[in-house]
Amino acid sequence: MGQATCDTTAEPSLERLLEHPAIWRGRSVARTATLSTGCTRLDDALPGGGWPAAGLTEILTARSGLGELRLLVPLLARLGAQPPPRWAVWVSPPFEPYAPALIAAGVPLERQLVVRTAEPAWVIEQSLDSGGAALVLAWLAPGVATSVTVLRRLQLATQRSGVPAFLFRPLTEASRTSPAELRLVFEPHVTGGRVQLLKSRGGERKPLELRWQEFSLQGNALQEHALQEHDDVAS
Amino acid sequence: MSPRERASSVTRAFRAPRQGTSAQISSRNASTPRALTSGRPPDPPLPLESLFDAAPEAWVALHVRSTSTNDIAVAPTIASSESAAALAHLAEIAGGFTSRVSLEPPDAVLLEVRGSFRLFGGAQRLCRQLLDRCGAAGYALHWSLAPTPLAAIVLARAGQGAIVLARDRLVGLLAPLPLALLRWPDDALERLDSVGVRTLGAALRLPRAGFARRFGPKLLLTLDQLTGAAPELRRPVARRERFRAQVEPAFELQTVALVLQHLEPLLDELERFLRARQSGIDWLKLRLQHRTHPPTRLDLRLATAELQASHFAELLSLQLSRITLPAPVLRCELRSGVLQAFVAQSESVWRPGEHGGGAGRESPALIERLRARLGSDAVYGLCLVPEHRPERAFGIAEPSAAPPRSTAQTWWTARRPLWLLREPEVLIDAPQGLQLLEGPERIETGWWDGREVARDYYVARDGSGAEIWVYRERLPPHAWYLHGVFG
Repeated sequence: MGQATCDTTAEPSLERLLEHPAIWRGRSVARTATLSTGCTRLDDALPGGGWPAAGLTEILTARSGLGELRLLVPLLARLGAQPPPRWAVWVSPPFEPYAPALIAAGVPLERQLVVRTAEPAWVIEQSLDSGGAALVLAWLAPGVATSVTVLRRLQLATQRSGVPAFLFRPLTEASRTSPAELRLVFEPHVTGGRVQLLKSRGGERKPLELRWQEFSLQGNALQEHALQEHDDVAS
Repeated sequence: MSPRERASSVTRAFRAPRQGTSAQISSRNASTPRALTSGRPPDPPLPLESLFDAAPEAWVALHVRSTSTNDIAVAPTIASSESAAALAHLAEIAGGFTSRVSLEPPDAVLLEVRGSFRLFGGAQRLCRQLLDRCGAAGYALHWSLAPTPLAAIVLARAGQGAIVLARDRLVGLLAPLPLALLRWPDDALERLDSVGVRTLGAALRLPRAGFARRFGPKLLLTLDQLTGAAPELRRPVARRERFRAQVEPAFELQTVALVLQHLEPLLDELERFLRARQSGIDWLKLRLQHRTHPPTRLDLRLATAELQASHFAELLSLQLSRITLPAPVLRCELRSGVLQAFVAQSESVWRPGEHGGGAGRESPALIERLRARLGSDAVYGLCLVPEHRPERAFGIAEPSAAPPRSTAQTWWTARRPLWLLREPEVLIDAPQGLQLLEGPERIETGWWDGREVARDYYVARDGSGAEIWVYRERLPPHAWYLHGVFG
């Protein structure tokens, strides 16, 4: 009897307590600030409706250049257009970011900062903590041993600074644990890609097939024009 | 009596107690280096004068007391490089009080401070601050403030810490002083001495026409300049355009931490140098000299002009942490790049992006930190180059914090990949295994600079399903290359 009265009085405050952003329960969707991906279906699949605005996101691919960067192009374009001017930091990209394609996708070139380094973790942390970066993209080479401690530091740095960071890592890391806020596997698919969440605070776990046309890229019109023009020669 | 003995006797006479004049401060003030310590008893009040009849100019003379000779009336015969350096340093300090600074070699600096009275709260406070700064820098000075430069020098040479703002009071103060303070040629002084003219007052009372005939118009002009009857044009001191300083420690520096410790005073000096000029620098060079090894050089490049010593120290420590000293350091030398106008910015209360807080210093500061540790080549921005050859259509640019420009003209019609390979890779068994999606796009250009390309570009899908950008050479052997990745 005494317990019952206790429950009824405690419940509202418990509800309020559980609303705290630091508390997350298995089946519910965490209340975190997110950034839209530019694709409605991907937004729906991700917890909170987009990329974590202050957290570490891991994108795992079999190798670099399968299309995983295109997931982030709308975000790059949108954050680049926002004042105040801050950098999008590319840490150790596997190839050269190609300026004409970025321009065509609406990404402002003068906000991109490429850093070639053997100490990516240091650069990521510095960029996050400086307040001068709008987002950080980092490629950790397969050879670079990345301990959970380092990843936790980075995750804490993103939370501290409120700046999102995206790590591109090889698929072989999927079996290891990671303190990242969001982990997903990307693999290419006909005219698009397949995304599967590995770790997320809520959200769909089914593989999601996306078409690049769904992403609100500024370059879309240009691409379709090119497709029609060269259709007959392409075979 | 040799001129020298005569001069010193004049000095001795002059150094007799002189309570008669009111416009004097105790010579203790001028003779002991002043330190900025709080425990010091308050200074005796400086003589104050009403501003009603003030002259349009007010010159402060700072006279460095010679250590070798205590004869103030005779100039040191050899202008040593040491005294020149001392004057340059004093001129530096004086630059913080006025822009009109002039040197009087070998032992005095003049500064016109009339325009700075209001800022510093009057002549008295200005002089007090100026002397405190000089004292803190370790200079023992005689000083004086007078309406004409020459009078200020003469009063300072006489050791009078006087503030004279009105021209009509000037002659009365100068009159009892020995003529030798003007440092005229010895023969002229001797001839004047022989007719009983030994003080400035006596010289001023001489008939002008006769004086000019006997001693020449130049000396008469000096007398006129002394009282302000004739103007004296003074050449302003040329200010150094770059900073250069070095420190030679008492022992060899073994570690980077010790080097940094010895650099600190230099960086403080640099900050004062820059503040006096309201400038910043975006380039700082450090040279560490070793006994046998070639010197270690460090280049510090900043994204924006900066003047704070702490900022330089932080970046230098980052850069020094990258290197290992090949040998102990004998000497550290610091040189600045060209000075640039510095616009001070206030720090933002909010983080950038938060509540509309702007990223003022943060964006360039990030680049500086990264570059200090990784080297300046490791950090770069991107730019577009108007060029049809794909590998030349983009360039590495200096990252700029400038606001976005209007969108560049796009001259290509087919789509371009997000990634470009630094060197095209040969595809051995192409086009088997590739599914050509778009193309060909023919790019045939560059015949004028010997890097001609003649290629047909295709968008293709490879075995793993990724979209790639490949081309086929138009010239035999028609090899296929991978040039970009759409990922």
